[in-house]
Amino acid sequence: FKSVRLLDIIIDLDGFVSFFIISAFHLSYNMLLNQLRCEEGDPENLLRNSFFQFQADRAIPDLEKQIKSLEKERNSMVIEEEESLKNYYNLIFQHKSLKKDICEIVFTPKYCLPFLLPNRAVCLDCTNDDEEQQSFSIEDQDTWGVIMKFNKVKSLFEDDDNRRPEDANYTVDVLTRCMVSKDGVGKKKVKAVPIKERGEPVVVTVPLSQIKSLSSAIMNIPKDLVPLEARENALKKVSELLSRHPDGIPLDPEVDMKIKSSSYKKTVRRLEALENLFEKHKIAKSPLITEKLKVLHMKEELTAKIKSLKKTVRSSTTLAFKDELKARKRVLRRLGYTNSDNVVELKGKVACEISSAEELTLTELMFSGVFKDAKVEELVSLLSCFVWRERLPDAAKPREELDLLFIQLQDTARRVAELQLDCKVEIDVENFVQSFRPDIMEAVYAWAKGSKFFEVMKIVRVFEGSLIRAIRRMEEVLQQLIVAAKSIGETQLEAKLEEAVSKIKRDIVFAASLYL
Amino acid sequence: MVMRKLQLPLSQTQKVRFERAIERLQSLSSTANSDASVIVTDSIPVNHDDAYLKGHGTSEVDGELLATVCGVVERVDKLVYVRTLRARYKPEVGDIVVGRVIEVAQKRWRVELNFNQDGVLMLSSMNMPDGIQRRRTSVDELNMRNIFVEHDVVCAEVRNFQHDGSLQLQARSQKYGKLEKGQLLKVDPYLVKRSKHHFHYIESLGIDLIIGCNGFIWVGEHVELRDPMAIDDQKDEEMISSSAENTGKEQIYTLLETRQTICRIGNAIRVLSNLGFTVTLEIIMETVNLSNSKNVDIHDMLGSEFHVVVAENEAERRRTKRKK
Repeated sequence: FKSVRLLDIIIDLDGFVSFFIISAFHLSYNMLLNQLRCEEGDPENLLRNSFFQFQADRAIPDLEKQIKSLEKERNSMVIEEEESLKNYYNLIFQHKSLKKDICEIVFTPKYCLPFLLPNRAVCLDCTNDDEEQQSFSIEDQDTWGVIMKFNKVKSLFEDDDNRRPEDANYTVDVLTRCMVSKDGVGKKKVKAVPIKERGEPVVVTVPLSQIKSLSSAIMNIPKDLVPLEARENALKKVSELLSRHPDGIPLDPEVDMKIKSSSYKKTVRRLEALENLFEKHKIAKSPLITEKLKVLHMKEELTAKIKSLKKTVRSSTTLAFKDELKARKRVLRRLGYTNSDNVVELKGKVACEISSAEELTLTELMFSGVFKDAKVEELVSLLSCFVWRERLPDAAKPREELDLLFIQLQDTARRVAELQLDCKVEIDVENFVQSFRPDIMEAVYAWAKGSKFFEVMKIVRVFEGSLIRAIRRMEEVLQQLIVAAKSIGETQLEAKLEEAVSKIKRDIVFAASLYL
Repeated sequence: MVMRKLQLPLSQTQKVRFERAIERLQSLSSTANSDASVIVTDSIPVNHDDAYLKGHGTSEVDGELLATVCGVVERVDKLVYVRTLRARYKPEVGDIVVGRVIEVAQKRWRVELNFNQDGVLMLSSMNMPDGIQRRRTSVDELNMRNIFVEHDVVCAEVRNFQHDGSLQLQARSQKYGKLEKGQLLKVDPYLVKRSKHHFHYIESLGIDLIIGCNGFIWVGEHVELRDPMAIDDQKDEEMISSSAENTGKEQIYTLLETRQTICRIGNAIRVLSNLGFTVTLEIIMETVNLSNSKNVDIHDMLGSEFHVVVAENEAERRRTKRKK
């Protein structure tokens, strides 16, 4: 079953496949302002009668049935001595989390990078996540291997290149015993297994978080590890090391790695105290402890599921977007689009006209005078950032004047997004600012200057249709801006915008039909 | 609050009291904007290095920004414009307006709105009496007179502007449409400020009050809004038959008290308009209660004594509001 968003009106009714439609209803400022503008406008009524609300209401009886059945199941699970068992269970989880904290501190790149030397033996954590059962002892499964080298992870945003080296993410290439399996689609899956079990010695890339401890021993390994015997020999050496020193001579974090942070010391002390408690716990000696713990774990999971379902039911019975509505109204008040009585002001009336682009940012830009000084072609290029939402990997950086305008756009967008965040609207500031792309600024500038279409296509490599669609949408935005400029009385700006429309509305981009 | 010269004969004592009340009101009004008031050809102080936007009522002459109307300079971010204090009605999309039908034309009615052009109410922008949404046929066009005739008072909403500047209206809900059993009052349009609600229903008196943004105010007996969805078919037939009977015979009389209340409210609005106070529901009710408490007869409300009393009362009210 595929689910299709309601905005996708073209639904494929081929054959007997039925589609679930999920409502993509969302609030927008333009809608809100236009509702506030007329006396009859009642946004709450609109929300209550929306398809989204209908779907949410319709799902409630289902969820309640689910909750009932889960509760019955949970209550049917009876365990003896549940109280002390729960206590023990909590202790185990605390122990795990403390150990993880220690690992996190020890293996921050700041401390451990100097020690990730090639040929050092390392202990990896290879608890099997695929199985449903968790391990309920304080010992985990681990395996040993030899470090080959470490790599810095290249992240998606260019800004992150400027982060300091100690903050970036790293992965380590380790030679260890692995189980190589092929899953359904033929992709090879490599999983580290304990050194004594069956498997092949392979170099596998693991994230820093999977390393449990570093050994102070550095092995003598040949450079060439392609032949299988060389790798087997390397692993044999590691096994020998383990048999002589069962704990692998770990590097002591405080002495060898010189970790002096106070949080580390505190965590270590808590861990020791916890381990003492384990010995003393009376239930630790009882038989069938692992089975009982498993049952308890399942019970806890059911309780968590019931809680989340109850939360969904509670949130669905209240009006779906009510909080967001309140927050958005707050934003409009703060920005001066409506007054404190929610009566639409001049700025709001301008934003009412704009529906094809991001209305808040565009209105703010207009009122900050950016459009006034810019030349007609530059104005058009700036508007292209509002209509182009894809990311081109090799787009040229726009020339200086255009870049300046783009930076102003980004500043305005950031200001608007931060204000929205301030008013408790859920928005990701960086995402929002990055959604305005300057990729086709140069192309649109050339088109506005009067170049032919094939010349414009040389500047930027996109599908022709996408570019034409973008330019047409830009013309729509320009028309809306003309109406807006008329309403505030800026005749100069209005004339400039009309000139802009006449400059881009020509030739093949606006041809009504390609064939006649 | 803009004061116009009162056109009433005032005796000496009344004049003194009136002047004093006006002085108090003027001292209470905010003085923040008095520096920003300009008259025609005044130069507006503006930072020329900054990019500023020139709005309504301004024009750039010889590098200077001059005002072309008398009013107060307003600034919104970089936009500079002059807001007039007394001017003709300036319509906005979504305004509630009350007007009188002056012509039944082809597929539309022309409505007088106190604007420089007549408003146009298209037949397609009206709800059909039976509530069904359908295309208006030629039969509907021939029956236009059954809906509105000349001199009917109607209430509508501004839908948009035509390219020549005239207004297009719409009356798409039960609240809009023909207004009956009441009084239409004309005040200056700048005395009506845009607010959240323009339709007021005064329950204690059973009166509907519609404050149109164009300065036309309707005071009338309350009419129960019929929700076309909520009525059964049977009840619907009953209602149609009973309303058909009514138009044939004499209408059901409104009660004498209701009519007196309507007149009282109407006079209160006239007094406020003469004095130049902004017309809101609050101040209207205040004036009506004042007239009732002082046992002023309805006709006497338009006399000079009541005007002076209202002015004094308003000064008092604003002073107490300031203090809070």
